[in-house]
Amino acid sequence: MSLLVLGLVAGLAAVERKGFLQAMLSRPIALGPIAGLAAGDLPAGLSVAVPLELIWLGAVNLGAALPVHDALGTVAIAGGTALAAHVLRAGGLSGPALEPAVAAAAVLVCAPLALLGRRAERLVERWNERLYARAEHDLALGDADAAARVNLYGVALPFVISFLLAPAGAALAASLIPFFLGRFPAALPPLAFGFVTLTAFACASGAKAMRAAHAWVIYFLGLGVGLCVFAAAVMAGGRS
Amino acid sequence: MIGPRVRVPGGVLARCFWRSLFLQAAWNRRGMQNLGFAYAIDPALRALYREPERRREALARHLGFFNCHPYAAAAILGGTIHHEERVAVGLEPPGAPVAYKATLQGPLAAIGDGFFWTALRPLFGAIAAVGALLFGWPAVVSTLTIYNAIHLVLRIGFFRTGYRRGDEVVGAIARLSLPRLAERLRLAAAGVCGAAAALVAVRADVVPRSGSFLTAALVSALGYFALSRGAPLLPAAYVAIAVGVGLALVTHLYGSPF
Repeated sequence: MSLLVLGLVAGLAAVERKGFLQAMLSRPIALGPIAGLAAGDLPAGLSVAVPLELIWLGAVNLGAALPVHDALGTVAIAGGTALAAHVLRAGGLSGPALEPAVAAAAVLVCAPLALLGRRAERLVERWNERLYARAEHDLALGDADAAARVNLYGVALPFVISFLLAPAGAALAASLIPFFLGRFPAALPPLAFGFVTLTAFACASGAKAMRAAHAWVIYFLGLGVGLCVFAAAVMAGGRS
Repeated sequence: MIGPRVRVPGGVLARCFWRSLFLQAAWNRRGMQNLGFAYAIDPALRALYREPERRREALARHLGFFNCHPYAAAAILGGTIHHEERVAVGLEPPGAPVAYKATLQGPLAAIGDGFFWTALRPLFGAIAAVGALLFGWPAVVSTLTIYNAIHLVLRIGFFRTGYRRGDEVVGAIARLSLPRLAERLRLAAAGVCGAAAALVAVRADVVPRSGSFLTAALVSALGYFALSRGAPLLPAAYVAIAVGVGLALVTHLYGSPF
């Protein structure tokens, strides 16, 4: 049932991402928690949404250039994280390292789906050329209503592709990750720290995506000032 | 023959705007957003051209190539309806709306891509990510609500301005100084990413004794340099995970290297 809901979420996100509205609802930061909720674990989806949003901050559709399919990757990773963590908890594993460790593993397993999604989008573009030909044909036959309506058929294929691929990725993560971590629970803390370094790298990726002169200066300034402020806040909290 | 000026009714304009939200539904490499544009403008053409043949001719000219930023395209859609109203009564030749679209689509695409896709949206994405780290999902909902308030106000405003002012929409959008604002937003987004990196480093206490604070800060810095030197994104992300895993293993076996 969770996989079916994940499929629906992924399909609708694929449509929102390009075909309809584009209101950031298919960005990882919005989609991660929704996918987590669909798989029964909103916090898991939210935690993995943060690095994914920052890593793919520069994934934008400029002209004919196609970015990676961040929405497809996000649903698979967030859904896979929630489902795999559920299986491991049911198997008796727990602790603060569990969720980040599973999230890091889910990224390793499912992130290539975002690249596969980009390839699938090329196919969708070619398929849509047939829709163009169909609209011309309808118009030549004198049916202007049908020619105008053809546009809506374009949302079907992106929906179906994500509906199928995202739950497949989540299911793969939900079977591989518990299989591995159930046998090697000692891998939890290292993988959890891998998630921390992934998130740290994601921040760099987000800043790098901002193609502005001196963006690097502002990034390192933000990092330096932030370190001072947050460290001071932590120390003040420790004293009180 | 020039007839009395005809106006597309308000309800039909609202329908055209709603349909413009599907602009890229059937994006294709030959006509790009042409099917979406024809779909969006069709209710206005139906209102303007009562004779089926004239409506078909009008729809046919909007099946030609079109590509723009989906938000900024609302201005062109509004302006094209403005021109079609004039074509319908003979004030302009049928080629005028097509020339209008051809003239504006490139510049508005550049402005829209530069402002919305590479500045405003990444800034709000970064703010939402930091908000999620600090306050959880309510911060994400709040951030996206603000983004969409801005996005929809501008998108509807572009459409209305295009429809009311036709060719003058260019000056109206130019007065917003979006490219200059975009540069500032990009810098702000980079700063927010820096703050996010600091927050991640301060909270990096998953593995005790691993020097996790310093490691996370170093990965944030070195990651930037690696990407600047052309490191591919996904493999670099895998390396970042591997660095964390490797360091945690070393720490576990031999104690903290820091």
